[in-house]
Amino acid sequence: MAASEHIVGRGIGNKLILLSVVLVAVIWMLPIAWTLLLSLKPNSELMISTASAFHPPYTLKNYTDIFQSSGVFRWLWNSAVVSVGVTAGILILSSLAGYGFARAEFKGRDIIFVLVLLGLAVPEQAVIIARHQMFSDLKMHNTYPAIILPGLSSAFGVFLMTQYFKAIPKDIDEAAMLDNASRFKIFWKVLLPLTVPAQATLGIFSFLGAWNDYLWPLISATKPEMFTITVGMASTQTNFAQSEGLGFLMAQAIFAGLPVFIVYLFFQKYIVRAVAGAAIN
Amino acid sequence: MRKLTTALLAGLVLTAGASAALAADKTEISVARFFGACEADYGSVTDVTKANGECGIITALINKFNAESTTTVVKPEIVEWPGYDQLTARIRSGEPPVISVMHEAVISDYSSRGLLEPLDEDFAKAGVDVNDMTDAARQGVTKDGKIYAMPFDTHTWLWHINMNLFKEAGLVDEAGKPILPKNTDELFAQAEQFKEKTGKPYFISTLANETAFYTRTFDTLLYQQNVDFFADPNKVDFSSPEAKGALQLLADIYSKDLTTKNQDYAASVSSFAAGDGGVFICGTWLIDTYDQESKKDGPLANGYAVTAFPQIYPGSPRVWADGHSWVLLKQDLSDAQRASAVEFMKFLWDNNFEWARTGHLPVRKSIIDSAEFKGLPHRDDIASLAVNGTALPSAVKRQFSIQEIEGEEVGSAMRGDKSVEEALTDAETRINELLANAK
Repeated sequence: MAASEHIVGRGIGNKLILLSVVLVAVIWMLPIAWTLLLSLKPNSELMISTASAFHPPYTLKNYTDIFQSSGVFRWLWNSAVVSVGVTAGILILSSLAGYGFARAEFKGRDIIFVLVLLGLAVPEQAVIIARHQMFSDLKMHNTYPAIILPGLSSAFGVFLMTQYFKAIPKDIDEAAMLDNASRFKIFWKVLLPLTVPAQATLGIFSFLGAWNDYLWPLISATKPEMFTITVGMASTQTNFAQSEGLGFLMAQAIFAGLPVFIVYLFFQKYIVRAVAGAAIN
Repeated sequence: MRKLTTALLAGLVLTAGASAALAADKTEISVARFFGACEADYGSVTDVTKANGECGIITALINKFNAESTTTVVKPEIVEWPGYDQLTARIRSGEPPVISVMHEAVISDYSSRGLLEPLDEDFAKAGVDVNDMTDAARQGVTKDGKIYAMPFDTHTWLWHINMNLFKEAGLVDEAGKPILPKNTDELFAQAEQFKEKTGKPYFISTLANETAFYTRTFDTLLYQQNVDFFADPNKVDFSSPEAKGALQLLADIYSKDLTTKNQDYAASVSSFAAGDGGVFICGTWLIDTYDQESKKDGPLANGYAVTAFPQIYPGSPRVWADGHSWVLLKQDLSDAQRASAVEFMKFLWDNNFEWARTGHLPVRKSIIDSAEFKGLPHRDDIASLAVNGTALPSAVKRQFSIQEIEGEEVGSAMRGDKSVEEALTDAETRINELLANAK
């Protein structure tokens, strides 16, 4: 009797939790649904009242207008190059640094690690003028390296990978060493495959960060042919976009967010696994 | 058949080659501008009369120029408004555009650092009659006695009026004109009467998320009292009783619920169109938008009027103003590039009427006085603004930042977050600190 009551109670509890989760998810999605709805309305109607979003007519003109902007595919390509470049660079550098901090013994290791972590406390805006001047002196603005290189110094990535490598038992290294594996081979063939969930998490966050980045591309990529999608989309807005071009503005938001949404769809399994794994560790 | 095909192909190749050669002969200049992108609607329009709105008209103007010029190709580079961070970054990295659009309030920041080319001689050679510039436009582009930009428009602050609600409130005279206040007492009396008769606030105001309303309205109220708050261009002075009175007026409008509250720009623009209040204090650029609304069914149907800012204080009719202009960035330009840049500016000067269709005021006296301009909706009602529109003195630096600070402080007093005295003192202190550090 007591056991069945417990099971029933647990069932109700689970349902309540599920209901709460669904409720939170719906609240979470409301702004996106609202954005989508507005993006399908003519701008002239929205200028008078956004309540018109709840009834026809609807239109795809705001989306076709985006595609007729001459630079949009170039900007998408630029964003893809930059995001992939930043992501790959961060994964390589953070894995190497993380392995070094977790496994290698060298003088001043802990101090250097703390210095790297201090990078988390330095906002981009604090160094952006000096950084801009440096790239100006190197005459590198309006190039892919100028947009990609500053993004590679990821203190968070180094920290995450260090902690992940530390959580892997050293017995595995020792077993490989007994088999005469070199240090690089241990890193490359044995340990790195075990960090895939962390790499997936880091990769996805890095990709999203690079894709959504606005400030640095705004002042480094100043020629339209080098704009990323965020800067390019912003440039197409009219001066009074929020009142006279609201539908177009919302269509831009949906359009710019689509690639990121697709990335999430493909990699959500890794994200969940990595977050759950990090929580257990 | 084969011969025909060969001949056609040869013709196509020759045509393509000739076109490429012609294009190659032209000098390309980059023109950085905001106003948005609208290639979908106007990408191939060269008949400017068929374009509407800021984006449409500037796009069509550039298309027309590129189609007509035998020597120059303009390559537009569209940036997000206002674009000055990006422009400064481009100058620093040694890759500025040849021409850039620039607010007149910003010109002194760039000209004082030697980043802009003076244009007096170029204009004289190109046949631009600078004496035809309106006072507001000429003042806006002249710094230290030199002209640093081709003025494009003057935009000022005025009252958009819902005549249908004014009728309901009994605030329309026998001639069908709105009855407007001539002093502060009348302002409050009429606003209370409006609220009582219509159940709606007299004013619709943009009070959230931006500071433009506060600064522009406050400056206008100071001008109306002949207050010279920048007698010294390096120091602002808000200590006068007139400044205190003007700010108290705004605070009273707010505390007596005579205005809408918590609306940002988009909300207030919609709110006026939806008939939520009688007067929307905003800019010239909305005239055509609301005029179009008045031709449809709705709260503004056959009931839209626009008027210069009413004379609430017995002083000058001056009103806040700024303007868009085109500057030539200092860099290593060839003679051909400079000639092309001036050719494009002259084209914009010649076509200034088309830009005035946006609602902005033209920068040429001859256009202001023309029947063509006066024939545009409501323009006759606001032509005086081209004379009375007043920018801050050109020697004042960092005008965008100053207006931001001023707006923040005026806003905090209007909403009751600070006392009037405290806000004016803080505004003075902050602006003077900024100017003390301005190079």
